[in-house]
Amino acid sequence: MIQRVSYALRETYASFRRNVTLSMAAVITSAVSLLLVGTTFLIQRAFDNLLVQWRGDVGMIVFVRPDVTPEALEFIQQNLKSQPNVVDVNKLDYLDKAASFEEAKRVFIGDPTTLSLLSIDTIPSQFKVVPITTDPELVRSLADQYRTLPGVAGVSLAEDEFDVISTLSGFVRTVTIGMSLVLLAVAVVLIWNTIRTAIFARRREIEVMKLVGATDWFIRVPFILEGLIQGLMGAVVSCGGLWALNQAWTSGVAGFKPGTGVSALVVPGSYVSGVMIALLVIGAVAGGVGSGVASSKFLDV
Amino acid sequence: MIRLENVSKMYGSDQPAVRDASFDVPKGEFVFLVGPSGSGKSTLLRLMNRQERPERGNVWVAGRNINEMANSQIPFLRRTMGNVFQDYKLLPNKTVFENVAFALEVIGKPKHVIAQQVPQVLDLVGLAGKEDRFPHQLSGGEQQRVSIARAFVNRPLILLADEPTGNLDPATGEGIMALLDAINRTGTTIVMATHDHRVVNAMRRRVIQLDRGVIVRDQERGVYE
Repeated sequence: MIQRVSYALRETYASFRRNVTLSMAAVITSAVSLLLVGTTFLIQRAFDNLLVQWRGDVGMIVFVRPDVTPEALEFIQQNLKSQPNVVDVNKLDYLDKAASFEEAKRVFIGDPTTLSLLSIDTIPSQFKVVPITTDPELVRSLADQYRTLPGVAGVSLAEDEFDVISTLSGFVRTVTIGMSLVLLAVAVVLIWNTIRTAIFARRREIEVMKLVGATDWFIRVPFILEGLIQGLMGAVVSCGGLWALNQAWTSGVAGFKPGTGVSALVVPGSYVSGVMIALLVIGAVAGGVGSGVASSKFLDV
Repeated sequence: MIRLENVSKMYGSDQPAVRDASFDVPKGEFVFLVGPSGSGKSTLLRLMNRQERPERGNVWVAGRNINEMANSQIPFLRRTMGNVFQDYKLLPNKTVFENVAFALEVIGKPKHVIAQQVPQVLDLVGLAGKEDRFPHQLSGGEQQRVSIARAFVNRPLILLADEPTGNLDPATGEGIMALLDAINRTGTTIVMATHDHRVVNAMRRRVIQLDRGVIVRDQERGVYE
């Protein structure tokens, strides 16, 4: 068993060296495509931070002062429920201080100064309002009414805050996903071609192996391993790139003034590690698929 | 050991490469397949180790119908057969020892078995002391000996030889035939395709003659006509 493993590894290494230019091309292409895939994830996550307040078609948020009296809070809630023509009463949601504080941690992830000023006692709680009407003017006039109610700290409208961002996010996502898919396909084809060339270079050896009774898997494994390693190497390079990119981005965002909203575009390190693991898996699978297809196609008994 | 039953093989649509061939090779026999180029000798050999499958008829090896064997079983069939070719098919970047060891290595034989069997078989074919040479440093006859050593190192039941003397001068060819004869005497069944008159006439073994894919003669202790 150990002998077979060492045989496979030796053959894989020898073949990789023999085809070093082609192998490098395959590695670089998969690195670039995986970097794009990873960037797509990060951009998506950054926009999500920005939009987390507005998730689920929320169109208006009524912020309630932390020192509100129970009567005033009750009044606001009843008032919102009495607007069935404008407000989707069933989806009306109240986030207490604890829930609002959790949310704020994401919104202000890149802005530790603001975040440190907030605490569970000083944070406003909020009503998330899903409008039932399609007329933005109705929502706007309702918002104006609430601004003057006792206990209300402020009212935000989705319209004002995120329409542009939401459109932009959708566009960026489509473009990056499209490009990364195309590049990923190119990487698979390149790996496929590298393996085909490697098989061709060793056709005499393979012929002899078949005649003396080597099993198909014994012949195939080194080639599949080679493709898998190429995909994996590309993934490792792309992880490095992604890390550097995120470092640069995070320190860039830190330079913006607090409160501009840009600070929400920071992606937490744990999420980046998750994306990196995904990239390693995607890279290995893409390499394995490319070489697996090539080796079963060109190694017919 | 090998039995063909009404075997036909076509390449493309025109004349069949082999037509309705039937014969039986008992264990330990030495058989020559003779006939001009293109008469179907090589095709018959390729049908015996299932490099080809016939359109009609059955090929039996060691009691098993190899046309009905699953693809996954073919490697194990081939481990019971050795192959020798006119062009040796040695790997140029491996030494004599490595070329022979390769045949054991790829079927997963452990190192100590390789270390024991390879020198033994190299000694048998008369190449002791040349283990570290590369194929291009050997004469044609010596290269063919390496290829026979590789075919025989796993002690196969059957040896299939396709024109093994085709690239060699008569004296060297005689040496190769003596070696194949010695291997045959260990009980190995040998089927050899050739159009070398001298070899066939000197050996006086069973001769199956082919003409345009058809068996026209099957004779014990025959000569090349």
